[in-house]
Amino acid sequence: MLEIRSARKVFYKGQPDEKVALDGLSLSLATGEFGIVIGSNGAGKSSMLNAISGALILDSGQILINGADVTDMPVHQRAAKLARVFQDPMRGTAASMTVAENMLLADLRSSKRTLRQGLNATRLASYKERLSILGLGLENRLDTRVDLLSGGQRQSLSLIMAVGGSPDLLLLDEHTAALDPRTAEIVMQATVRAVRALKLTTLMVTHNMQHAVDYGSRVIMLDAGRVLLEVAGEEKARVTVIDLIGHFSVKTDRMLLAN
Amino acid sequence: MGFIQEVLTSFVAIMPVTLAQSLILAFVVLGIMIPFRMLNFPDLTSEGAFPLGGCVCGVLLAAGASPLMGVAAALVAGFAAGCCTAFIHLRFRIHTLLAGILMMTMLYSINLRIMGKSNLSVFGSPAVFDWVPFARPGFPASKIIVAGLLALVAFMLLYMFFRTEKGTAVRAVGANPDMAEAQGINVWAATIGGVGLASAFSASSGALMVQSQGFADVNMGLGILINGLAALMIGEAVVGKQTVWRQLLAPFAGAIIYYQLVSFCLAAGMPPPDLKLATGLFVLAMLALPSLKRGRGPAPAREAIRE
Repeated sequence: MLEIRSARKVFYKGQPDEKVALDGLSLSLATGEFGIVIGSNGAGKSSMLNAISGALILDSGQILINGADVTDMPVHQRAAKLARVFQDPMRGTAASMTVAENMLLADLRSSKRTLRQGLNATRLASYKERLSILGLGLENRLDTRVDLLSGGQRQSLSLIMAVGGSPDLLLLDEHTAALDPRTAEIVMQATVRAVRALKLTTLMVTHNMQHAVDYGSRVIMLDAGRVLLEVAGEEKARVTVIDLIGHFSVKTDRMLLAN
Repeated sequence: MGFIQEVLTSFVAIMPVTLAQSLILAFVVLGIMIPFRMLNFPDLTSEGAFPLGGCVCGVLLAAGASPLMGVAAALVAGFAAGCCTAFIHLRFRIHTLLAGILMMTMLYSINLRIMGKSNLSVFGSPAVFDWVPFARPGFPASKIIVAGLLALVAFMLLYMFFRTEKGTAVRAVGANPDMAEAQGINVWAATIGGVGLASAFSASSGALMVQSQGFADVNMGLGILINGLAALMIGEAVVGKQTVWRQLLAPFAGAIIYYQLVSFCLAAGMPPPDLKLATGLFVLAMLALPSLKRGRGPAPAREAIRE
């Protein structure tokens, strides 16, 4: 379960270019819920995700994951509770390390790292099995350095790394936006399958209105650092792309093109 | 022909001495490689940590402490110095190179303070090299054996460490700090510990060098960094750096080859004052090689010195 209580964050406070990124934003996502976050550029989507992951420290407000207050926890401590897939495939993986080593890093996200050997036969076998679900052949490339993989393969790897260990909260930050349409579809399908199978509490930021309509149990539209609109339940099942776009105060080309 | 023979004779004659020296200095090269390659933290601390280890060890030997004690104290002092550099970088967001320059400049005064004077003779004090059976003390053979064994132990321990869960995490910090943090790795702890460890190696090299040459000098670190970097470049060119095994082997192989090369150049009559220029040009060439191969095109981002 995720709860954000009146989160506020102001950049360049007191300066001419002061920018209110989060303006008392409150949001709650029940366990197992799949929330889709939409909103125009600058609406506060990234700031919200960064605040949840700990990369951004709030001026005021609270963030709770499964009832535990994580507001003052540094990123590496929150990692035990949440996993994140970034828009840029480069950011979510360690390029100069192998596929297996990357899997190991994610595998130990919520446990204490010891001086025992990292990659052993048991782990390698389980990584092989988990990667084979994608059907991209990654399971045969465990010893390949990640920088030799394509963007789509890297992003798929990031996804498998993130959903492994069933995090309390999964954050998806436009994670298919940098991929070609076909690969984006593969990654999106893999995401939906994993979220359903593992019943993950998920928050996905997207600019793709079709995704917002097709997936998820709740659509959250942000504007100027607060929640402008929430659609859930039966209403969510009926919502269309046109309905959603109608709520944008500024219709950017990017959103229209997404249709 | 007479000239070549002469050069070869004098080169071969000092080969064992050079080998002993290079095995001791291999620890500095290791101390340069770990931050640079494993942590992506180009670090200059070794230029100060090497004489720091030497001064600490020299003072202790002069006071009658055991040589092992001298090396141990150098390790601790070096570790502290490395931790400071990493902390300066992390806490104040000062560039790693600048943090290293600050640290090595401050260490110069600290080293002078530790010794009380600019050099200190410990000739005749016991050294770790004396403990080798069957080898006459003071001869290169005993130094080669002790330094070689220490190098082997350091190599094996590091190789095992970088394959553990913790060691993999440390490498991840170097590969992608943001990702490492998101995977629950404490980037601060890994960086401070890693750079500290590296400086501890550099300092231990200084301590061994003092025991080998019989005196400590505050200026003994002058140019050690560029020599170490050159050795690392040679090592990486020869054994490669694609795997942890190769990357760890490179400092040792590089040190041995580099110092023999220097000794050969000197035997061939290269004036010693030109040595630093030659070394600098060599390092420049090795660093420039990838961009020359790539051909013309936009200059890589400034941070690209990291690769």
